[in-house]
Amino acid sequence: MSSLLVFRRMLVEEYRMHTELFGRGRFIGFPLFTAVLVAGGVWLLEATGTNLESIIAGLFVLVFLFGLQVGTIGLIGRDAMRNVLGDVTLLVFSGRTLPISRRKLLATFLLKDLVYYIGLFLTPIAVGFLPLVTADELTLGGVVMLWIALSATFAFGAGASLALAGIATRNVGAIVVLLVSLVGIFLVAPELFVTVSPYGLYANPGIEAAVASFVGVVAVLIAGPLLFEPPTSGGVRRIENRRFTRLADRGGVFFARSLLEVARSSGSVWKVIFSLGILFAVAALVLERVVVATALEPSAGIAFGTLLGLGAFTTYNWVTQLSDNREYLRYPVSYSAVFAGKFRAFLTLSLPTGMGYLAFAGIWYPGFELLLGVLIFPLVSIYVFGVTAYLTGLSPNELLFNTPLFAVYGVALAVVAVPLLVAALAFGEFPLYASLFSLGLAVATAAVGLLLVQASSKKWERSVRAQ
Amino acid sequence: MPAVETRNLTKKYGDVVALDGLDLTVERGELYGLLGPNGSGKTTTIELLTGQRTPTSGSLSVLGIDPVSDPIAVRESVGILPEREDPPSFLTPREYLEFVSDIRGLDNIGSRIEEWARKLQFQGILDTLSSDLSEGERQRVMLAQVFIHEPELVFIDEPLVNLDPLMQAEVKTQLNEYCEAGNTLFLSTHFMEVAEELCTTVGIIAGGRLVAERDPRELDGGLLDTFATEVRLDAERRETAHERIENGNRVEGASTR
Repeated sequence: MSSLLVFRRMLVEEYRMHTELFGRGRFIGFPLFTAVLVAGGVWLLEATGTNLESIIAGLFVLVFLFGLQVGTIGLIGRDAMRNVLGDVTLLVFSGRTLPISRRKLLATFLLKDLVYYIGLFLTPIAVGFLPLVTADELTLGGVVMLWIALSATFAFGAGASLALAGIATRNVGAIVVLLVSLVGIFLVAPELFVTVSPYGLYANPGIEAAVASFVGVVAVLIAGPLLFEPPTSGGVRRIENRRFTRLADRGGVFFARSLLEVARSSGSVWKVIFSLGILFAVAALVLERVVVATALEPSAGIAFGTLLGLGAFTTYNWVTQLSDNREYLRYPVSYSAVFAGKFRAFLTLSLPTGMGYLAFAGIWYPGFELLLGVLIFPLVSIYVFGVTAYLTGLSPNELLFNTPLFAVYGVALAVVAVPLLVAALAFGEFPLYASLFSLGLAVATAAVGLLLVQASSKKWERSVRAQ
Repeated sequence: MPAVETRNLTKKYGDVVALDGLDLTVERGELYGLLGPNGSGKTTTIELLTGQRTPTSGSLSVLGIDPVSDPIAVRESVGILPEREDPPSFLTPREYLEFVSDIRGLDNIGSRIEEWARKLQFQGILDTLSSDLSEGERQRVMLAQVFIHEPELVFIDEPLVNLDPLMQAEVKTQLNEYCEAGNTLFLSTHFMEVAEELCTTVGIIAGGRLVAERDPRELDGGLLDTFATEVRLDAERRETAHERIENGNRVEGASTR
């Protein structure tokens, strides 16, 4: 069977899956929306004093992290796929029936993902920088180079995540040694990472930089499919503890089930810590860049509290990853009980994790300054839960490629995030007013969030039954 | 009051008509089988009767309750086994049955679980993660959640799917005992032999309409000979042929397409 044929079929499959899920117009409009969003974001960041090089450096970090996430999504668990997408069988899972090796199938799947995301995400992101060409801040060649380097960065992340997952499934010790080594090298010689990454090619274009950066990309793209092994249960797992009963006694059966599903699925609770950790790292990077670029003294507490609160979206994703809207309609229970249980599980997972990161930030920032974050983070998290539940129900992945929904969601978060981040920037000048304003706004948003949680139950129960 | 009653029940999915004016009555204590080919409207009927979906038009009642206005009251009184539904992957059967029992507000949960695990022979896997169970074992757990609250009416979509012959015989016995105790069973299947062997009344559904209803024990040649006759005709002879078939001996509800 020709790999080219499988590749073409996979592309068609991906297109049909997304257009079926979100509608053709919504799906096709997504690249345009991304380009406009990036152009607006760059303009806003420049207007608030952030220099272009910092914006682009941050973008490379985000694209790399996105590549890491995409690399393994869909391959980690078919249960999660089924619950997110319904009864879907993808070609990538046909290794046992198609006359093609599993590794070749996986490599083709990875290539298809690269083509798809480069076309739908990275090209529009690069297009979002075109207005800077007219303002003479970037050349057209610079935008093309940005596109190439961003695409390579995404490929690097996707290939690396597959390779890392592959090593982890073979030998946990090896992955620990590898990660510790990488952190060690980063601490001793951070410039080495820039040199061997596609960002190095963008920052210092040339033949040597091209070779240095693309060798790494090609290496992980080959190693990923070779090393990756699909997760298996490793035999029959028996669980004789009474954890479900104990958790149900504390927070109800929907709370207990949500927590156990997170804890027992791939990545356990570490995936909650990791995904919020990425947001924390991005927040720390942005804060550091803002201080360097603007000479302002923003409030670390307000900034971390807001950004970690927004990042709680990832925790919402984890507590709903195995949920099926229709399943709960088979029990004598209202959706309000389901959402209430999910809400308790969400708070149980996200609050200690976020507070842990705020405590960690105390190494670099004064403790009293972070106290505001301790108050703002849970309040913004509640708002994020409410907005996500109301707009997406138990299927937050619908945000991906559903342009109007994504736009509404973005606006709903921005109306809270922008004033809070402006308050964080103004903190140096007006500490009392900025503190009172941000606290007041956070309390109000939490109240809105709670109202939205209640409204979500009725909205989704009615909507799912009418389908 | 019948256990189930629908009048002119219609459900459309966009332009697709899944149910087209379904009229159905199931008396209490009946073992009713809804038989029909794939896509004939069986699953939609069960989903409407249990309040999982709302109809486009028509009326329906289950144990005297309207599933449209009070779906939770219906689900409290009935047991539901949907087609192709597994217990949650990351709970054990014991945890899942605790989950269902808690939602239903049951007491003596532990002894109920043990009892149904014994009846359906899955005591040995009660503490095994559901994702590690075989298809047949998962089906047995799903059957247990249907009966654990001892409902007076149950809806089962394809009851014997994935079960081995021994377990199929065991489940048939359980279903018969359940109905002998005065309860009502509404099952949907596309297997004639399942309907024939289990049911006291069989309704044939095609194109979203009930086209015939029979007690299989009163049929000479069984359901297969009675219902499954397909006649292929030239288009120009269809009108005449249809007339003759309808007027023929022991022929009812013939339709042409």
